[in-house]
Amino acid sequence: MDQKELREWEARCIQEEPPACRAGCPLNVDARAFVLFMARGDLDAARAVLEKSMPLAAVTARLCEAPCEAFCVRRDLGGAIAVGGLERLCIRDTCPKGKIPRLPARPRKVAVFGSGPSGLTVAFDLARKGYPISVYHLGEKPGGWLRQLPESVLPPSALEEELQRLGALHVTFVAVPALDCVLVETHPADAVYVGQDDTISPDLAALLDSPDPETMALERPGWFTGGMEGRRFRFIDAVSHGREAAVSMDRFLQNASLTGSRVPLRCGRTDLFTQTFGVEPVHRIPPEDPSGYTREEASREAGRCLDCQCLECVKHCVYLSGHGGYPKAYARRVFNNAAIVQGMRQANTFINSCSLCGQCETLCPNDFSMADLCLDARRDMVREGRMPPSAHWFALEEMRAAKDTQSALLRHAPETDKSAALFFPGCQLAGIRPEQTLRLYDRLLESEPETGIWLDCCAAPAHWAGRQDEFKELLRAMETAWEGVGRPRVLTACSTCLKMFREHLPAFGAVSVWTLLAENGVQAASPRPPLALSDPCTARHDTQTREAVRSLLAGLGQPLADLPMSGELTECCGFGGLMDNANPALARKVAQARVAQSTADFLTYCAMCREQLARTGKAALHILDLLFPDAGHPATEAPAGISARRVNRRRLRNEVLARHGLDQAPREAWEDVRIAVSDSAAALLEERRILEDDVRQVLYLAAKGGRCLRHGTDGRRIAAAVLGEVTFWVEYRDTAEVFEILGAWSHRMRITGGRI
Amino acid sequence: MSMIFMPQDMDWVCEPCGERMESGKVELTYLGNAFHVELPVCPRCGAVYIYEELALGRIREVEQLLEDK
Repeated sequence: MDQKELREWEARCIQEEPPACRAGCPLNVDARAFVLFMARGDLDAARAVLEKSMPLAAVTARLCEAPCEAFCVRRDLGGAIAVGGLERLCIRDTCPKGKIPRLPARPRKVAVFGSGPSGLTVAFDLARKGYPISVYHLGEKPGGWLRQLPESVLPPSALEEELQRLGALHVTFVAVPALDCVLVETHPADAVYVGQDDTISPDLAALLDSPDPETMALERPGWFTGGMEGRRFRFIDAVSHGREAAVSMDRFLQNASLTGSRVPLRCGRTDLFTQTFGVEPVHRIPPEDPSGYTREEASREAGRCLDCQCLECVKHCVYLSGHGGYPKAYARRVFNNAAIVQGMRQANTFINSCSLCGQCETLCPNDFSMADLCLDARRDMVREGRMPPSAHWFALEEMRAAKDTQSALLRHAPETDKSAALFFPGCQLAGIRPEQTLRLYDRLLESEPETGIWLDCCAAPAHWAGRQDEFKELLRAMETAWEGVGRPRVLTACSTCLKMFREHLPAFGAVSVWTLLAENGVQAASPRPPLALSDPCTARHDTQTREAVRSLLAGLGQPLADLPMSGELTECCGFGGLMDNANPALARKVAQARVAQSTADFLTYCAMCREQLARTGKAALHILDLLFPDAGHPATEAPAGISARRVNRRRLRNEVLARHGLDQAPREAWEDVRIAVSDSAAALLEERRILEDDVRQVLYLAAKGGRCLRHGTDGRRIAAAVLGEVTFWVEYRDTAEVFEILGAWSHRMRITGGRI
Repeated sequence: MSMIFMPQDMDWVCEPCGERMESGKVELTYLGNAFHVELPVCPRCGAVYIYEELALGRIREVEQLLEDK
């Protein structure tokens, strides 16, 4: 990812867009933050928000006509938040936050003619930037029409205090009898501002044509004006003119473009999306005393604020919400991770934890895809040799094992020499439900006797791991194998395989077996209580399969319970994208969050979803349990686990071979090592991703080499072996008939100065 | 990582050597990095014992640090 790509990614996430209230404020006051502090009763913090963006806050907050309220998202849900009323309470009940900082003095001089709100704003903004300012005003004291306001609206003391603060910023006030043409034209200042919201002489007024509406610049260089007649809001529009003029004058005095990279006023325009579905209307709380809110009333009124945020993706995703940010921030995190030359790449696990499920993209008003972001990053990591070797190791081993000669198989149906269709159950269904896989195959053979079977893995793990070269090679090998059996149509029982084939091997013409079964119809069975149907995330955009499954269930007479995030919005079970490999703790949380969405038992048509959901302890069924009730598994059955899955794939292959009257693959010698694994030891092996096959191999190799460690007193033994990338250690007791497994652990570090 | 790592229970005997494990120098490597440590070693055949707590603790920690470097 380069800087340009980062900017493109960042631009897609709208979370940092301003809320409508801020976008509607000509001074860019963060009204959302202000109101939230008011709701918490933290008036000092609320005032700090105002002072950050407002000139002369004690005056502005009292007189602001609150144009933001017209844009408030609460507007149609009980009325806009009374930001104006809250500002007045806040400014009345708090003190200014100390001295206003001023930048080092600058040599060029500014003169402001007129001391209405716009002129005072110019003086405030430019004085802070270090310019010496002279403000010319009529009458004894500056302030113009502000001095005519009743005390209840603007106490003279509040205005005096703000004028004193201006004085502290090196603003000089000069009383003059008239604000006329001669005064301005003869003034030696480098830039001048004429505030038309004060009384100026007709000759000066005649000299001022219409300023540029964006920059407030007049045609005459160095002349600026604002506060013209026809303002919508007498006060805040004048302040806005002053602010825009001050920006221009600063640029003018630095010989910079008045318009280049200038941020225009948003006038309420923002791309921030705020979901209001399900938000109950709450009526505006008017102050009991018309003179203003009490603190308690203000807190309640501010409490109606919706705290407008997008976070559509984050709200529904455990992964996104668990990392404390949102896609825009995550894009930068991913970029920074790649840019690290020395030091730790702290976002590796973050990048590898995304399930690539695509829910965020579906929810996002702007189609931001964390899946694409993370998959691209993984590919870069693999290409640049910085992918942590352990991140996807187990899944890749699983994939390679499912593809090896012990588990993989491609054959026409028994007693046929060609295939019109080819059943590809998927490696997880084969490993988790081998008997049901055969039952399903038999059902497919009833409809089409020339249906071959292909036991293999679709290579999704290589794709998810970002291993593009390996993935391409595996796809090529699969295509060659498929061509070798006459290019039959592929029928899959796994949504991931289906997605992989459709996207990467479209010639397969892959369809879901559920679609086929739905077309053929099913007989009604005795229904169970309503089940929560969890669509696999890889079926998110596969309407055809999702509808076929629902049609099958309707045919069976099976009612469904409501599950909020379903269909296109479905959620991952925690396995997708190899989340379970890179971040098992997160995968558990994801599955927990999923099953918490319904009190009903779960139902799915992805074997791995069933495995992951059942791992939480939730009762969960696979659709095959309903289609073949006599071969059904109880909803409360524990997941098969990694060891059984590996063995089951071998068993299934042997059973298919037996149907053809062919010999089974020769057993490996270590397969006959007899082990006894208690439930607690099995749970430990599962958690540490150590297969019983690994344990058997270690014990076999140890026995063959006659090597182990023996405990001096209690008979325990420990054996170790390097299997592939990993060194495995097994603690056991060697009884006459069986090895009783007590524990096992592994590491990737190699012993080079020594042996095991 | 020049350190000494010993399990609480050192009552382990190497088979078939019949020798009790002792502290000995061992080199461990990962991703091109080498570490010299002292671990339980058979004084006769040099067999090393990487005990569970070490494998799942310090070794895993260092593996992850090196993978993210």
